[in-house]
Amino acid sequence: MRIDSIRRAVRFGLVLPLTWTGSALGQMQAGANAQSYGVAVTTATVNQKTPSAVLPVGGMMAVDRATDVTVAGLVTAQNAFAIVTGDATDGSDAVSSATLGTVSILNGLITADGVVAMTSSTIENSNAEGSSLANLVVNGVQVSDPAPNTRVDLPGVGYVVLNEQIATFGGITVNMIHVVLQQPVLGVLGGVTGYRTTGNIIVGSATSSVN
Amino acid sequence: MSRLRPLAGVTAIAALALVGGSCEVHHTALAPTIGAPLFSFNVFQCRPLKMTGGGRIDYPPGTAEKNPPASHQYETFGAHVTAPGEPDPSGLTCLADSGELEWIDHRPEMEINGQPLNLHATSVTFAELALDTDCSDGAVHWGGKLRVQNTGQEDLDFEVWDCDNSEPGAGHDGFAIRVLELGYEVICPDPDLPPTEPACTLTGGNRQFHPTP
Repeated sequence: MRIDSIRRAVRFGLVLPLTWTGSALGQMQAGANAQSYGVAVTTATVNQKTPSAVLPVGGMMAVDRATDVTVAGLVTAQNAFAIVTGDATDGSDAVSSATLGTVSILNGLITADGVVAMTSSTIENSNAEGSSLANLVVNGVQVSDPAPNTRVDLPGVGYVVLNEQIATFGGITVNMIHVVLQQPVLGVLGGVTGYRTTGNIIVGSATSSVN
Repeated sequence: MSRLRPLAGVTAIAALALVGGSCEVHHTALAPTIGAPLFSFNVFQCRPLKMTGGGRIDYPPGTAEKNPPASHQYETFGAHVTAPGEPDPSGLTCLADSGELEWIDHRPEMEINGQPLNLHATSVTFAELALDTDCSDGAVHWGGKLRVQNTGQEDLDFEVWDCDNSEPGAGHDGFAIRVLELGYEVICPDPDLPPTEPACTLTGGNRQFHPTP
């Protein structure tokens, strides 16, 4: 019953640009860069990101927190923290983290009770070590320690990418739970000829780079 | 380590007798404004320095292995400090220019009012280079005052043991913290390491030592 109500909600979304990958690459500048956020939702009617931390130019650290996050009935989360650090002088290192407690996406279609997104970048190395998901359940199925870029289809909704890791110039982005909302595209004869993205939900995102 | 505190005065006199811009402070007690440590790096110097980065520790036990995620036995943090390499007026420790610390303990048993324990530094007052460690790139002992964000309790002394042990940070670098007045610590002493070194191993993130501020 739950997934049917979600299908109805997604059906009436509008088309969104398909180039949105959830990576902060386009916003980076030379030196150390770091950003993180707990929850981001982008649909035709919602554009929200919270809590969110961005390493300021010339700064060494930024922190944001949110005890309770509720986004348009799509996501709820508790105890979210976003912390970013970096060397403002020589731009040689950056660390980014987003942590959350209990999370529920799309009215319980996806739940978890401990999300850690963490990235670290130096001249020599970028990695997402320290990232983890606790008690993750996707459409009623428990998923333990998903490998990077694990995709699970969500019939009638779209799909989710778990532990999504995206290499960027001099760095890395990790999105621990990335739901891509989709609508079917119908052909002339009424059959489904493809899918179009109508929104994105990301829980636990960290990005760091040194360049 | 309290038995070593009386040595601090003698050590201070000796320290002040040294000439030179790089002040060597041989002492085994910590900055005297806070309590004596359980463990300490053995030799300290006032040197220009900076330590940056953040990360994750899975304590207990604080080794390189992550605990099962469902256990919630982990801590995350961001922290940095810069120091000019000058002693404080007493000569017993080294001044810090600036610093920040944000510490979150995700263990359910540490929660306050249903929220993870969250410590936030309000000032960083000392930072001394630790010499006699096995941190290949640099080690710093630093601290100041902090506030418990959950309750608003503030003006609490804290100290950090910070270790950059090459790259990547996960599995190599280390971090430890103690807040004496709270009876709170995340410290991982290893008596097999000469000298005893209390930093817990990072399971994510990185500590980066810079020899200049």
